[in-house]
Amino acid sequence: MAPFQTFIGLEIHIHLLTKTKVFCSCRSAFGDPPNTNVCPVCLGYPGVLPAVNREALKMAYMVGTALNCDLSMHTVFERKNYFYPDMPKNYQISQFSDPVGRGGWFEFETGGKIKRISFHDIHLEEDAGKMIHDGSRTLLDYNRAGTSLLEIVTNPDFSSGEEAEDFLQAFRRLVRYLGVCDGNMEEGSLRCDANISINRQGKGLGTKVEIKNLNSSRFVRKAMAYEYRRQAKTLKLGGAIVQETRLWNEEKQKTQNMRTKEAAHDYRYFPEPDLPPFCPDEGFLMGVAEAVPELPFFRKQRFGRQYGLTAELADFIADEKFRADFFEVCVDEGADPAETAKWLKGEVAKQLARREADLEGSFLSSFRMAELMKLLGSGRIHANIGRQVLELVLDEDMDPVRLIEREEFAGSDDREALGPVVDQVLSNNREAVLQVRDGSQKALGFLMGQVLKTAGQQADPKLVRRILLDACHEESPARKD
Amino acid sequence: MNKPERGIQFWRGLTAGAEQLQQYKELLEVYDSRIGSFLEIDPVKGAALIQDRRGSGPLAGVPFGVKDNIAVKNFQLSCGSKILENFISPYTATAVQKLLAAGSIPVGKLNLDEFGMGSSTENSAFHPTANPWDHAYVPGGSSGGSAAAVAAGLVPFALGSDTGGSVRQPAAFCGTYGLKPTYGAVSRFGLTAYASSLECVGILADSVHTTREVFRTIMGADPLDQTSTAAPEGQADTAKSSPCTIGVLKQPEGLDAATEAVYLASIERMKDLGWTIVPIDLSTLEYVVPVYYTIATAEASANLARYTGIRYGVREQGTANHEEMVRLTREHGFGNEVKLRILLGTYVLRSGFQDQYYVRAQKIRTLILREITELFTRVDMMLMPVFPVSGFRLGSKQMTPFQQKMADKFTATANLAGIPSLSFPAGKAGQLPVGMQLMAPVFHEERLFNAAEVLSGGRPIELAPGSLVLPDGYDAKAVR
Repeated sequence: MAPFQTFIGLEIHIHLLTKTKVFCSCRSAFGDPPNTNVCPVCLGYPGVLPAVNREALKMAYMVGTALNCDLSMHTVFERKNYFYPDMPKNYQISQFSDPVGRGGWFEFETGGKIKRISFHDIHLEEDAGKMIHDGSRTLLDYNRAGTSLLEIVTNPDFSSGEEAEDFLQAFRRLVRYLGVCDGNMEEGSLRCDANISINRQGKGLGTKVEIKNLNSSRFVRKAMAYEYRRQAKTLKLGGAIVQETRLWNEEKQKTQNMRTKEAAHDYRYFPEPDLPPFCPDEGFLMGVAEAVPELPFFRKQRFGRQYGLTAELADFIADEKFRADFFEVCVDEGADPAETAKWLKGEVAKQLARREADLEGSFLSSFRMAELMKLLGSGRIHANIGRQVLELVLDEDMDPVRLIEREEFAGSDDREALGPVVDQVLSNNREAVLQVRDGSQKALGFLMGQVLKTAGQQADPKLVRRILLDACHEESPARKD
Repeated sequence: MNKPERGIQFWRGLTAGAEQLQQYKELLEVYDSRIGSFLEIDPVKGAALIQDRRGSGPLAGVPFGVKDNIAVKNFQLSCGSKILENFISPYTATAVQKLLAAGSIPVGKLNLDEFGMGSSTENSAFHPTANPWDHAYVPGGSSGGSAAAVAAGLVPFALGSDTGGSVRQPAAFCGTYGLKPTYGAVSRFGLTAYASSLECVGILADSVHTTREVFRTIMGADPLDQTSTAAPEGQADTAKSSPCTIGVLKQPEGLDAATEAVYLASIERMKDLGWTIVPIDLSTLEYVVPVYYTIATAEASANLARYTGIRYGVREQGTANHEEMVRLTREHGFGNEVKLRILLGTYVLRSGFQDQYYVRAQKIRTLILREITELFTRVDMMLMPVFPVSGFRLGSKQMTPFQQKMADKFTATANLAGIPSLSFPAGKAGQLPVGMQLMAPVFHEERLFNAAEVLSGGRPIELAPGSLVLPDGYDAKAVR
């Protein structure tokens, strides 16, 4: 057992995928020219008032539902007061005493086990703009000011960086499933700060150190590991941990002091008088409940149970909501679940990657996929043809059945058609036949290659293999001599 | 004296066309040079905001003034502060927008105490405003410019804002009507925030009739102000008309002789009308001022944080970094009263002190609201003085800033409780008008109008001496 126990808590900010900002009707978009998505409200002009975006509230309550929080029936916005040039009003509208959700828990897989962590709260707030330092000047871009942020604060329930990393990946998958955030950490639509403290086993929480600049879940793991080593070394030498905020330096692979002792910020929170408390009615809550789909963790387990998918396949299929929905439509249409999953993870993924496309934007609809799988399942076409059909579907936006008719894919997949070719190959390669009979897979492969070269692409490799094996073993040893 | 008829035709005449608007502008400039009620005068620019000036509604073609803390597109929005001296509003407040839709024409921006903080309009960063009845006296505040302009007959009505009495007190000092509506009855969108949970866009007008028309025009829920509410259905129909039951203070403390006399005379007048007078105790009255200033300054400390010179307004030049720029911009841009209130508000919100001040004030506010609500189960309306003294001289020697704050107790009650209150001309103290106010339950503005209509006998206000008259040779033919 390690001499020290580790306590890690995460503060996660996600940019909600609302069409407009959280308190005004400006477009919530990234990458536009500076200060183009701004208005008197998000620039904090005299006399303007915030008007809370219902879509943002709905998404916040969806996340709260998915994280098993106690949802507030009377949630209050508050002003968090501090001056900074990127914050137009010099207070941030956030939440404090009555956030959208409190408590709650989440289960995820880590180290081959299922871990449950709990939350302190989740709350809705507005983001600030960006300060851009340009030589001696400082420029300000307020496009991001007032965009919706949801902050999720966990309790210090993680006992290692690996756990934190695994959680972040599962959490990212969750918010993408919910359709509330694109989960992109590099672009900052999912941001994470971590608190870590270590202490001798059984002694409870130690002195908390906050780590910022964690732009990927990998950084979280590495930074936590580094901090553990750093703090453990200090404690072993009888030193004390200083409460501070540190930055992860990816280049140097270490954390560095940013500010010692939290600059005694007094945010003077008080209820935002411009916004009445939000008390969700039944209609709102029903809308939220309906909008929360089966969550990836449970869906994956069900895929294993219901369709007999291997853990690996179930994980892949359940990873993206679109893919999982796509898969289930195929199955409903009569496609074989295991085969469909295999194809999606294998050939489909490969072909999409080759085209730098994604499933959602491709010509492969779930109905076309189901049709293709049924054609394969019934033996009407074999895998090789299936691959060609798939490519044509992706390139030409046509149904598999029509493509088969057009390309006249058929016929060569029976033993009779292949018979003469196999006989020819066998008689030309006697040595290999003997080796196959002795169990050589390499020789079998060679023979298959020869047959396929002659028979052409339409030949089903599985069938060729079976015919070859039969033929090799049927031939009497006498004849060989 | 050549007293013009101030009917709608008179005002429509002044705005009938480009030429008339220009003449009106010149008239305003001349008349206003005596009292300094305006900070910007431009009827031509105001008329350009109107789609249809020849509408048939009761406010079509009628000019109005706007307190300079309410946004009107293309007009300045200085809030009486140096920090916004150069600021031109890119948008229009909802209340003004509704008036524009009714065909009413904004003719300029009116003076005020900086950000609405004061009771005399002497806290304007630009110039003081004189009371049209006696130029040595203040017009009250913070909507002093609005009250003075109406009293001087420059406009038939003006928009003001009332956070703790800022519409009613200047209305009382200048002898006009002054309505502080129910909190949320009129959208605050476009009203520069001082104390968000207390303030309302209010109306200063030359008659009950006009006050009512304007109120009916600007009221209503606004999606841009989520604290705004539509009046409950049928409220106007159930409005109680005369005779009614009026609660009056058993012992109105701290009034000067003239004010007390007018208060008592108002009670007598109501008795004469056959109204029932019910003497009441308002046990929470003594807490009104401390509670009001705790909450108002707390909100102000955050509301005024946005003025840093970074995005708009006056910016301090030649500073080393943004911290210094913001600090010096605010140091030089804000007046002392504003700084005092920001500091007070910051103090009462400090962690460790919030429970003692801000939270406690909110609790007392709830008690005040409870007492008022209970009171309205027994009376239809409440008659209150507006201000303990009938007026004071320019120069602030007569009343210290502290005394001026203590004097807000009668008016701030309505703001803390969110109820409507109408200040009306009720008498005189020598030259100067004295106003009293009626308060009613939330969304019972119509009850106030009905009572004031009865009290006034339907007559408009008496205009101050030297009020606007049309010059000889004014082309009456052009006046349609």
